Amino acid sequence: MNSAERLSRAGGPDRTKAWERGVLATEAGGIGENGVTELGVAGGVARDITESGVNEVEDAVERAVEVKGAVDSDGDIDSDGDIDGDGEGVALAGRALSAARKPDVGPSRRGAVDPVKALMHRHRELCERAVDPLEIAAGLEAHGVTDRTAARFRHRDVFSLAEEMYARVPRDGEAPPHTAPAPARPRVDRALLTLLPGALCTATVAGVRLTQGQPRLIVAAAGVIAVALGLGAVLRHGPLGLRRGASSGRHASSVWTGWLLAYTALGDGLLRAALAGGPDGLPTGTADGPWPLATVPLLALTLACTPAAWTTHLFATRARRTLAASRGLEEFATSVRPLLFGTFTLYVGALAALLTLCAAVLDEPASYAATLTLGALLLLARLLTVHGFTHAPAVVLAATTAAEAVALATVFAGRLPGCAALAVPVETLAEAWGPAGVPALSCGAASLTLLIHAARTLTRASAHARANRP
Amino acid sequence: MDNRPSRHRLVRIRSSRCEPSGQRRLPKREIGGALVRIGLLTEGGYPYVSGDAVLWCDRLVRGLGQHEFDIYALSRSERQEDEGWVALPPHVDRVRTAPLWSAECDGVVYGRRARRRFAEAYGELVAALCQGDASDPLAGSSGAEADRFGYALYGLAELARDEGGLMGALRSEHAVRTLERACRAPGALRTAREARVPELLAVADHIERALRPLSLDWYEEDGLGAVDLCHATSGGAAALPGLLARHFSGVPLLVTEYGVRLRSHYLASGAGASGAGTSGESAGPGGSGAPGAPGAPGEATGAAPAVRALLAVFHGGLAAEVYRQAAFVTSGNAHARRWQERCGADRAKLRTVHPGMDASRFADVGESPDAAEPNTLVWMGRVEPAKDLVSLLHAFAKVREGEPKARLRIVGAPAGAEGAAYLGHCKALAAQLFPDEAEGPHAVGDNPVSFEEIGGPEAPTPADAYASGAVIVLSSVVEGFPIGLAEAMFCGRATVSTDVGAVVEVIGGTGLVVPPRNPRALAEACVALLRDPERRARLGAAARARALELFTVEQNITAFHGIYLEIVSRCPVTRAALEGSGDPQPFAVPAEAHLPGRWADPVARVAARGGQGGTAQPPVTATAGNPAVEAAR
Repeated sequence: MNSAERLSRAGGPDRTKAWERGVLATEAGGIGENGVTELGVAGGVARDITESGVNEVEDAVERAVEVKGAVDSDGDIDSDGDIDGDGEGVALAGRALSAARKPDVGPSRRGAVDPVKALMHRHRELCERAVDPLEIAAGLEAHGVTDRTAARFRHRDVFSLAEEMYARVPRDGEAPPHTAPAPARPRVDRALLTLLPGALCTATVAGVRLTQGQPRLIVAAAGVIAVALGLGAVLRHGPLGLRRGASSGRHASSVWTGWLLAYTALGDGLLRAALAGGPDGLPTGTADGPWPLATVPLLALTLACTPAAWTTHLFATRARRTLAASRGLEEFATSVRPLLFGTFTLYVGALAALLTLCAAVLDEPASYAATLTLGALLLLARLLTVHGFTHAPAVVLAATTAAEAVALATVFAGRLPGCAALAVPVETLAEAWGPAGVPALSCGAASLTLLIHAARTLTRASAHARANRP
Repeated sequence: MDNRPSRHRLVRIRSSRCEPSGQRRLPKREIGGALVRIGLLTEGGYPYVSGDAVLWCDRLVRGLGQHEFDIYALSRSERQEDEGWVALPPHVDRVRTAPLWSAECDGVVYGRRARRRFAEAYGELVAALCQGDASDPLAGSSGAEADRFGYALYGLAELARDEGGLMGALRSEHAVRTLERACRAPGALRTAREARVPELLAVADHIERALRPLSLDWYEEDGLGAVDLCHATSGGAAALPGLLARHFSGVPLLVTEYGVRLRSHYLASGAGASGAGTSGESAGPGGSGAPGAPGAPGEATGAAPAVRALLAVFHGGLAAEVYRQAAFVTSGNAHARRWQERCGADRAKLRTVHPGMDASRFADVGESPDAAEPNTLVWMGRVEPAKDLVSLLHAFAKVREGEPKARLRIVGAPAGAEGAAYLGHCKALAAQLFPDEAEGPHAVGDNPVSFEEIGGPEAPTPADAYASGAVIVLSSVVEGFPIGLAEAMFCGRATVSTDVGAVVEVIGGTGLVVPPRNPRALAEACVALLRDPERRARLGAAARARALELFTVEQNITAFHGIYLEIVSRCPVTRAALEGSGDPQPFAVPAEAHLPGRWADPVARVAARGGQGGTAQPPVTATAGNPAVEAAR
């Protein structure tokens, strides 16, 4: 008889094996007397274990309970008679065990369920999270599961136990919902900070207008230094500041930027004077001197730090949200491109509004083309620098500076004997569009270049990853 | 009988048989007669004061004064670099360090050919990751598939050596696009197919960080190419330079993992989600509470499944490649060895070198007659939930049922805020379970359970604490290498410990072992020992003998010395002797040296020794690859 053969083989030296064979016998057989078979083996196991030491009694009980568990779960499938027989066998096994050594250890409180299932329930978070069996194995070991424990689950080692658990985790293919990163709250102090250059510049302009002579010079010098410091502060912190760990950028860029701003204030007047044969004197700080000072574009540009910071922040946060939501790189690029153009337009619009306002308040004419293109150029350069592309802005800013400087120089060089032809292009340009045509043309070309560059580089996912990096 | 010619090259070990007995002592600075220079590769480790396993490395380097050491260290953080180095012994020839935490792009922009090389190698790498075949040790045996990871890795390394600029390329959009293509390719892992843009970026970023050692300038002929053997003190990033040195210059690699890096990667990547950070690998090999192998910085804690899956495959593949290329892989205990085997290490390459501990601290206690209070149980360690002190207190309650005079001393400081809370909980429980008791009606009472810290008046040193206990108890539910248990063994104390981690392996038969989370069994074992002083003495003596045999610093150093010897004997590095001008010296190595053959043959030996004798002492040497050996394999 099948089970009898198994039983006779079951008396091997290895008691675990014997126990397993006992279970095998129970599972295999379909007759009521298997309960007795199983009782013999389980009891034998129990006696074996208790004889081998006090310390393993609990272990033995657990094994006996697992026999019960295994039997019961199998019994559900089999006929009724089976369940009765097996249940009795287990009860007897339990009694045999208690009689053997420890009367106070009753059947364990853990119920008759699949032991691996119980273990999976206990570690369900680990199981659901795991990406491969080794992760479960590492987690189980961190919770104190050893190969000896795994043997209780009828596994050779923790690895094979983990493999079973990994295989049994239900995977319905539902990825966990992706949580969008919390948008970085715009900080009030940073927002106030962006107002600083505009406020300083307003104060300086007012001071320059209200003073005369020596004090005006002092006010102007102090104002320039204060505005420069304010701009530096804005460019260090907040959305316009470089991320931690990013390369600190090139100082040359700030030199070029300063030069471009200076040209905006003084360049047009100088060019006009030079074309008329001047200049006849140093700038006096008024709009109607021999070398007039244009304060409107400067004021508008410094006031535009606030919209610049805001649009940069908007672009960064929206791009990050898009990044979190997009499935592919192409998808990301297509959805970021309109965002880039939108924020850019927003900034240019805000700058135009500020420019109109300043022109109205100061009652001076404003050169819209030159100022708007310069503002656009500076914003794009900063946007690229903030996202880690420092090379292109530096080159473009230097080229623009050079173009403007060369334009001025050609006018003066044209005065040399025999070199009159050098001044012709600038003269023609100034006749057509006025002296503001020179910066408008150079800044316009430069900002267009940077816009095209930004449309290619800022739509890359890697650009925003770098900004994300802590 | 296998009488084929040996496939190994000349072994430059002067066997003692060949020498007159008077000259049997080996000359200093030589290993078996060959001048050996060891490149010690560490990551966030040895020369830095705050590194992992510094004590062990320091003992190893100082213990092997007859070797030359070159140290190649990767630092883990700026703070670590600022804290400086430990004092180095004089036979450390050079120390080269590189930061892993900062990355300076060298600004090299690839040309078309370099870009194509990069695309090919990186594409291969990420394809291997996304198909998930890099880490599977079973696939590792099936040839071509398993080689993909290694092929790609070496391709990238060669590109970095030839052109530079690998870091920028790995960060570029091009790399992310390649990764995306690989994830969407047919046959990719299910989790990889679900990867979204942030996950792709995270994976690309992590790969860039992990592959930073590829961009180092260590692999020149005068760098790692000049050492005779690379010893990586951990897996992962530290072993990567060794892997490349082996690839470029054929330098044999020895990898020592006291904590399996892959396992700590899994724990670290899962820790963010579950807080199951109780690393079982708590024991640094130094034996002085060195922190366990923590995950590298920037580990993807709590990341998306796609990131964790791809990174797991990456680290698995890296571990498998390291194990495949290493001449030997050593571990501290059987548990780490099982992991290494599981990750594809050839069983023949595995050696277990138990961590060494300074036995002299415990010599007085271990050798002096038993001065313990006969009824005292001592528990010692860091107080944290994994130590299961609650179970110990319950067990002690049962002990007191049998032995009313028993006392328990819990010696140790809490680990972190969690440990402090747990200690408070345990103190409250002890106060509840055991009322204060006094000698008589006129004496001041005391609690039978006392909580102390090392350095206090009752226990100035660990040795004193162990000395005061008749039985040392360990009640952990999770344990790596139980240092406290080994220390108790050095003190010659009988121990009762729970069957966790490497406890059974450490204790052997010299102490009682009970199942974890079983206070009754623990109590019964303790009572049995408390009632039987003779058995205690027997077990203690046996434990001390075992510890002196297995866990001393000397055995650790001797074992590594033996392994070095074995590696050098199997993988001799041919040194082309150079003249003063740097040109190769003609006939420095005889032509026969390039033929596989039997070198034990007397004629050959004479020829070989004649050849060696021609070199100056000490020779200006350089290392050449040994293609003959490679071809013979």
